[in-house]
Amino acid sequence: MRIRAGLPTGVSAVLFDEAKARRQLEARLSDELVSWGCQEVLLPIVDYYDPYHSVLDEGGKSSLYRFVDRDGELLALRGDPTPMLARLLAPKLGSLSLPLKLFYRGDIVRYQEPRPGRLRESAHLGVELIERGPRPEGPQLELTVLEMFLDLLSSELQRSGSPRRLEVVLGLAGALDELVADASDSGAFALAISRRDRERVRSENELGLEIIEHGYPRNPERLGSAVGSQVERLVQTAGQLEQRYGGSGLKVHVDLAEFVRGHGTGGGAGLDHMYYDGIVFRAYIDNASEAVGNGGRYDKLFAELGSSVAAAGFSVGLDHLLQAVSG
Amino acid sequence: MIRLALPKGRNLSSALDALRAAGYSLAGFDKDRLRQTLEDDGVEVLLLKDWDLPLYVEYGIADCGVVGTDVLEEVESDLLVPLRIREGRCRMSLIGLENKTPEAGTQARVATKYPNWTRRLLADRPWGAEIFRLQGSVELGPLLNLSEVAVDIVQTGRTLRTHNLCEIEVLAEIAPCVVMNRASFQRYREELNALGERLEQAGVVS
Repeated sequence: MRIRAGLPTGVSAVLFDEAKARRQLEARLSDELVSWGCQEVLLPIVDYYDPYHSVLDEGGKSSLYRFVDRDGELLALRGDPTPMLARLLAPKLGSLSLPLKLFYRGDIVRYQEPRPGRLRESAHLGVELIERGPRPEGPQLELTVLEMFLDLLSSELQRSGSPRRLEVVLGLAGALDELVADASDSGAFALAISRRDRERVRSENELGLEIIEHGYPRNPERLGSAVGSQVERLVQTAGQLEQRYGGSGLKVHVDLAEFVRGHGTGGGAGLDHMYYDGIVFRAYIDNASEAVGNGGRYDKLFAELGSSVAAAGFSVGLDHLLQAVSG
Repeated sequence: MIRLALPKGRNLSSALDALRAAGYSLAGFDKDRLRQTLEDDGVEVLLLKDWDLPLYVEYGIADCGVVGTDVLEEVESDLLVPLRIREGRCRMSLIGLENKTPEAGTQARVATKYPNWTRRLLADRPWGAEIFRLQGSVELGPLLNLSEVAVDIVQTGRTLRTHNLCEIEVLAEIAPCVVMNRASFQRYREELNALGERLEQAGVVS
């Protein structure tokens, strides 16, 4: 019998020096997280599909690898550790002492369109912070998470001596929902914003044009007073972060268009998942196509699971980070 | 310096005309050199096959580029598509020997170079489309009875007239599009917005 040498699309074996470098990276990041008081959780690679049906959007659901096991149960491979962790913790939160600072590491498996370098199985390390609800005023939780995220990434960049620049994009989940809902064709307008299609956005709404060019309205109040004040805080946060990390080659952009939702194309352009409900962020190293990490606030996810807590987290793609700092 | 990808195919002249109209001198541009720096304009230019161009931009090897809607829709890249150039527009049409769409409830063979896009364009039809890919000369499909109809680009309609084929229905407009890499847009926001504004002010895009 002839044995095939290759692996399925989007899957690769990590061998020898690469394996060593990946383990070392994982160890460095994990040690750092432990030193910040985070506890590790080990998550299963297989779970029931049912719990994800209501918390993932269509893009998230369709990217899951699903199968029926011999008992007739519909199962899914781990495609997103955040909802998995949330669904496991939600029933236990009453008996746990909060806040929780947790981290996980391991592979996630998701269908992705075949492209060079796009992985269907990839190694991730993520952090989740969970505090007692109701939601505290101000973005303190997100700030803590963002600072942890940026500390990890910028220290890796500095350590490698790479001249590459970290571009961090901040947004607000749902900030453009009302603007999109008011459009004559909401889905098409959301897609036009996501693609920064100047003509189509302008023909619908001049405010939209300002957002796709500038990232947010110069007068954020035009998005409504509640969203407007959140955008103003976000801009201040971006300034503070850039001041703090600017020396390490980091640029922070506020860009609501990057996170517009409702265009139905799933990941990439918009939010991967609909469970975020506050500050969201994504980081690129130089102009690499894949973000090296992302995260945000997701109280809504726990709320849907029946728990009132404040939660935020992030995930770092270890393969992409390694490639970026060593490439 | 921004890296701009230009298509080697039918959209090259439209792209060059638009850039010149927007005030880029393109001094020293050589259409036979695959990689060149245009110092006066402050850009590095890559000349790429149309079908490869979205991949180079998506992967950040080029920051922006120009490519037709036909290619973009077929490969479904995750790119920003801020502008469409006016010159060089054409249409994606359903063509056949007779000027009528397949009857409701029937199954028609559809020849095309663009099976993915065609599938979406014909998704809501009352007739079934059995779509298959041809590499070129798609109009031969209906002409030689390999298919009942074809979906292909129509520019002037001359090829159709030559072969006594009918343009049954225009399915979509095709335009050379300015595309940008998502991360590059964050990094070079001012420059890339300025590029868009210059093209708009020159009246060569919509």
